[in-house]
Amino acid sequence: MNNNYNASTPETPQRHRIELADEQTCFNASSELSLLVAMERAGQALIPVGCRGGGCGKCRIRILKGEYFSKRMSRAWVSPEQEAEGTVLACRVYARSDLTIEPDPPEIATSCGTADRAS
Amino acid sequence: MKKGVMRPGHIQLRVLDMDEALNHYVNLLGMIEMDRDAQGRVYLKGWTEVDKYSLVLRQADQPGMDFVGFKCLDEATIDRLSADLQAAGVATEEIAAGDLKDCGRRIAFTVPTGHRFELFATKEQTGKWGVGNRNPEAWPRDLKGMKATRFDHCLLYGTDVAATAKLLTDVLGMDLAEQVVDPEGKQLAAFMTASMKAHDVAFIEHPEPGKFHHASFFLETWNDVLKAADLISMTDTSIDIGPTRHGLTHGQTIYFFDPSGNRNEVFAGGDYHYPDHEPVTWDAEQLGKAIFYHDRQLNERFLTVLT
Repeated sequence: MNNNYNASTPETPQRHRIELADEQTCFNASSELSLLVAMERAGQALIPVGCRGGGCGKCRIRILKGEYFSKRMSRAWVSPEQEAEGTVLACRVYARSDLTIEPDPPEIATSCGTADRAS
Repeated sequence: MKKGVMRPGHIQLRVLDMDEALNHYVNLLGMIEMDRDAQGRVYLKGWTEVDKYSLVLRQADQPGMDFVGFKCLDEATIDRLSADLQAAGVATEEIAAGDLKDCGRRIAFTVPTGHRFELFATKEQTGKWGVGNRNPEAWPRDLKGMKATRFDHCLLYGTDVAATAKLLTDVLGMDLAEQVVDPEGKQLAAFMTASMKAHDVAFIEHPEPGKFHHASFFLETWNDVLKAADLISMTDTSIDIGPTRHGLTHGQTIYFFDPSGNRNEVFAGGDYHYPDHEPVTWDAEQLGKAIFYHDRQLNERFLTVLT
């Protein structure tokens, strides 16, 4: 599931600084926690929280700088091309370095819809 | 008027990772794994269910619901309802027996909210899990987690709830048990039943068709709902809201998410419905209380987080 093969899993948890692109706000994230859960545990609400499982798209962000590991996420909200350019769901992403991010929550009813849906 | 549709018999959900999903549905909810098929789908049930399975999981790259299937009295009912659907202008597709393991033919069609429905009448019956059918004990002793008893209903979000409710009422013989209406009288939510349950399937109006809100599983008591909440914390499972009570149906409930972001509910209690009962109506301005009776506030996540 690792689509960022250069960013290996550290043996001991590392603490990384997650900065928003506006440079006004940041939080610390352990490499063991998804960015979204790390943000919640830091008591912040910088990224909208939805299902925390890669399904609903609420926590979509763009990663502008830094290394990360990501798990599988719904193709309704992130196409392979978008994912290659750093658009991800924060609940499925684990920091492997300090990161600069910006929220990119989708509008309601704008899912790609063409992914694997029919049985 | 009843037309031979009995109950929601199965729901097929898409998950991103089958191993993670099975850990959730088997070890946390306490569903029983019953079988697997050549496509890699896994078949599960709650322990009180007589049919072989009610939950089918399929690994895919987009979570959500593939379809919900309603079990009908017999094959003649399937023929009759299939003809009635076509007469009502609804295109139907017959899926051959055996496509779902140990299940007979299914008639599939799409309702106006954009969801795929199925009717079927035949499925292998393996009986309640862990207890017999003759002088049965109260419950099996080796259940896991929340000990979910059955798949109870699902809530679906989509376009034109009113047309869907009318189709299910007029053609399939379900009843409207509860509804939410706006000041102009437009139906924003419809809770439909084919039985005495407060809902066998429910719909909420939403601009995108075919969205999945939650699959719900029945527990016996309020204390079971509390223990489910404990298990959600013990396992660091993604929580949505609860334990609390609904205004709609008055069930005692907790919401959480499976590892692919599909919402689950476990609940206890709730109202009942007979065919001669008028629908219960909630006004849209009371929607906060209708959904979460104690909070009494509109919950943005509940209304917009979908798969």
